[in-house]
Amino acid sequence: MNLITQVLTILCWVVIALAITPMVWFVLQPYLRGWSRAERRASDLLRDILTPEQLRQLIWRGYLEIPSPSEPQRVYRVPRTKGYVQVLENGRATMRLCVQPVECLPDADIVLLHKLMIEANEENYLQKANKYICID
Amino acid sequence: MLRVMSRRGDDRVTWDEQKVLAGESDAVAAVREAEKIFAQERAKGATAFKVETGKPIQRIEQFDATAEQIVMVPRVVGG
Repeated sequence: MNLITQVLTILCWVVIALAITPMVWFVLQPYLRGWSRAERRASDLLRDILTPEQLRQLIWRGYLEIPSPSEPQRVYRVPRTKGYVQVLENGRATMRLCVQPVECLPDADIVLLHKLMIEANEENYLQKANKYICID
Repeated sequence: MLRVMSRRGDDRVTWDEQKVLAGESDAVAAVREAEKIFAQERAKGATAFKVETGKPIQRIEQFDATAEQIVMVPRVVGG
């Protein structure tokens, strides 16, 4: 009888462990992904190209603001993780843009991709982006 | 240095410009390899940017062996 109770207890713990594992994985996955080799390499590249102020903004605020090379009142707000790029005109959100690479890239590379395209090729960047107008 | 963005982070090819000018075979081979990769990626629709410290980022169409750093990004589409 005692043996049966022990076996049942162990089985219960196994079932609980199996049920919790996916939840733990779901919570930890973003942090573990950050340590993957690809993410590390992409972060190195981003660190090489961003100024210390830009890097600080990205880490602390979760986005990178890129001034438009053609329109002084316009700023592009690029999120650190996947998502829309916000277009701000005189500090007010006017548009959201969706531009993505055809190949899957680490998040840090995507931030850099936006920066390079906006600073060196803004017109083409806007042509390619799907635009969603913000209405107050 | 040529850096090509990919799912692995970025693939790099480096060379020493001085050694290339001196005609050292390893350095010349590295530049040729970089040039080949550049052409292959451009053919796939990638865009190349010349990134140099203290200078504005510049989009380039031709491989530039004198560039401090060339970063290639894959083709992009509206999402």
